[in-house]
Amino acid sequence: MRKCVTFAAFVSIQLRVLTMRPSVGVFLLLGVLALQSTAGVSAQESHDERPVRIVTLYQGATDTALALGLEPVGVVESWLERPMYRYLRDKLPAGVRYLGLETQPDLEAVAGLVPDLVVGTRYRHAAVYPLLSRIAPTVIADTAHDVEAMLEMMGEATGREVEAQALLAEWRARVADFRCRAEARLGDAWPQRVSVVSFRGDHVRLYYDGFARSVLDQLGFLRPAGQRGSGWGIKLVSRETLPALDADAIFIFMRDDAAVAELHREWTAHPLWQSLDAVEQGRVYYVDPVIWSMGAGILAAHQLLEELYEHYELHDVVHRGEGGKC
Amino acid sequence: MLTTPEARLMGLVMGALLALAAGLASLTLGATAIAPATLVEALLAPDPSSVQHLILRTERLPRALIAAVVGASLAVAGALMQTLTRNALAAPSILGINAGAMCFVVVASSIFALRSPLALAWAAFLGAFVAALLVALLGRGRDGGFSPVRVVLGGVAVTALFVSLAQGLLVIDQEGFESLLLWLAGSVAGRGLDMLLSLLPFFLVAAGVCLMLVRQLNLLVLDDEVVKGLGQRTARVKLLAGVAVIVLAGGSVALAGLIGFVGLIVPHMVRALFGRDHRWVLPGCALLGAGLLLAADTLARLLMPPQEVPVGVMTALLGTPFFLHLARRRSFTP
Repeated sequence: MRKCVTFAAFVSIQLRVLTMRPSVGVFLLLGVLALQSTAGVSAQESHDERPVRIVTLYQGATDTALALGLEPVGVVESWLERPMYRYLRDKLPAGVRYLGLETQPDLEAVAGLVPDLVVGTRYRHAAVYPLLSRIAPTVIADTAHDVEAMLEMMGEATGREVEAQALLAEWRARVADFRCRAEARLGDAWPQRVSVVSFRGDHVRLYYDGFARSVLDQLGFLRPAGQRGSGWGIKLVSRETLPALDADAIFIFMRDDAAVAELHREWTAHPLWQSLDAVEQGRVYYVDPVIWSMGAGILAAHQLLEELYEHYELHDVVHRGEGGKC
Repeated sequence: MLTTPEARLMGLVMGALLALAAGLASLTLGATAIAPATLVEALLAPDPSSVQHLILRTERLPRALIAAVVGASLAVAGALMQTLTRNALAAPSILGINAGAMCFVVVASSIFALRSPLALAWAAFLGAFVAALLVALLGRGRDGGFSPVRVVLGGVAVTALFVSLAQGLLVIDQEGFESLLLWLAGSVAGRGLDMLLSLLPFFLVAAGVCLMLVRQLNLLVLDDEVVKGLGQRTARVKLLAGVAVIVLAGGSVALAGLIGFVGLIVPHMVRALFGRDHRWVLPGCALLGAGLLLAADTLARLLMPPQEVPVGVMTALLGTPFFLHLARRRSFTP
C-alpha cells in the first residue's frame, strides 16, 4: 500500500515535470522510489498524498516552505543570526531540528527525521542527491536565486499548487505596483542602473548575479554597462577600482564587524567614492544583508521590495498615469 | 656568472635598475594609467584636488613600497635559510616559517581581536619562531645532525599543520572569519603605509644584522669542523641569522600574508649570477626580490581589470619557469 502511494506520487510529479514550462528554469529531480525501511512513519501520513514531513536543505527552500504555510521538520542553519534568520524565526515550528550547515548537512539526522520530502539545491547538493533520494523523495532546485521557480516547484512537490499560485500572483501584482510607482516617482530617472555591492573584511564584492540581482532584474532595474559579465560577480581589492561600482544607485550590504566597518570607512572616505554618480545624487542605500543575500525565498523577496519602497519613498506616490493602475 | 668585482657591481646596478623599473611600472600602471610626469608632481608637489595624485599617494605608493620591502625580505630570508640549513630547498614558505607566522596572525586577529600592526607583527614573529622550532625538532636525525630531506619534510608537515589550523577557524565561522582569507591568500593591495611604517624598524634591524653577518655567513657554507678550526663562534652567527629570518619572514607575513616562491627562487637566481659570496648574494637578493614582487603585483592587476589575480599566483607563474631552467642547469646545493 505504502509503496503504491509513493509510486503514484512519483509518477504524478514526473508528469508535472514534463508539462512544466521550460522558462521556469527549474530542474526537478525526483527521488528514485523511496527505499524506506520506514521505521516510524505513521499510518496517517501514508494516506495523505501531500508530503507532511519536509526537510529543507537551503535557505531559499526554508523561506519558501514557510511562505507556503508548511512546517518543516528539519532545516539547515542560517549563515547569520544563527540558528535562523530573525525574519523567519517566528514562523518556524518550535520543535524544528537544525541539520547543520547548508554546505554540509547532517545526512544521518535527515534520515532520522524520516521525511516525506527533501528540498535541496543543485549547486549545494548535487553530490549528495543519490543519498538524499534514498532517504526520501528529493527535489533539487536548479538555481538558488529564482524565487518564482522555487515557489512553483515546492508548490507542486508538496501538493500546494493553489497556495503557490496565489503567492505568485500576489508577488507579481506587487512587482507591477512597484514598477508603476517607481516610474511615477522617478520619471526619466527610471529605469535605474544599479549596483549591488557588499563590503567584506578585506575586499569589496560587486554582484553580477545572485538573489538580489535577480529580484532587481524582475523589478525592472538595469545594470551598468560594465556589469554584464558571467559568474556571480567580482572582488575588488584596490580603491583605485572604485569607478567600477558606479551606477545611478548603489545598494550596499555588509555584516556588523570591525574589519568590515574599517574597510567601508576607508573606501567611502576616498575621493573616487565621492565622485561616483550614485554618491553625488545621494542614492547609496544600505540594505539588510540577510534579506539581500541570504534569505533567497519569496518572503525575503517581499522584504527586499519593502526596503526599496522605503528607499525610493514610493508608499505615498499617487499615480495618475495612463491606466492609473497604481 | 659574474666573476670579477666590477662585473658583480654592474650586476647589482642592473638589479637596482630592474627593481626601479618594476617600481615605476607598479606606480604608473593599473586601472588608471598615470604619466611619469604626474608621478613626479604627485610626489614633489601633491595637489589634493587631483584624483590621480590621490590614487598615487593613497594606493599605489604604499602598495609599491610594501611589495618592495616584502619581496626583498622574503628573498633575503630565503638566502639566509639556505645557508643556515645548507639546503637548496630551504625557504620561509617551504619550511613552514610563513605558515606559522600566518597562523598566529590569524588567531591574534580573529580570536583575540588584535588589530594594531605591532601586535600582529609580534604574533607573526612568535608564529615564525614556533614553526622554526618545530621544523628543527622534526628535522633532527638520530645522530643529531640535520638531514636535508628530513628538514624539508618537517617543513611540509608544519606548513600543513598551520594552514589547516587557520582553515579550521574558517570552518568554525565561515562568515565571521572571512577577513582571515587576507592572510591565507597573500596580497600587497589595500594595506596602508602605517602598517609598513610601524614594522620598518624591525626590517631595518634585520638588515643591519645581515650586514654585520655577511663575512661569517660565508664561513657557514663550510664544514662545521673547519669553521670551528677557524675560530668562529658559529652558534652565535646561526642564532643571529635565525632571528633575522624570523623577523624578515614574520614581518612580511604580517604585512602581506602568505606569498610563496620569492624566498625559494630569488636566492637561486642570484647565486647563479653572483656565486656564493654573501656580500653580493644578500644585496642581490634584496634587489631582485623587490623587483620580482613589484613586477608580479603589477601584472596581477593588469591581467583582468578591475579584478586582481592573487599576487602569490603571479610569483609562482613568473618564478617557476625560471626556477625550472635553473634546476635543469645546476646541482642542488646552495
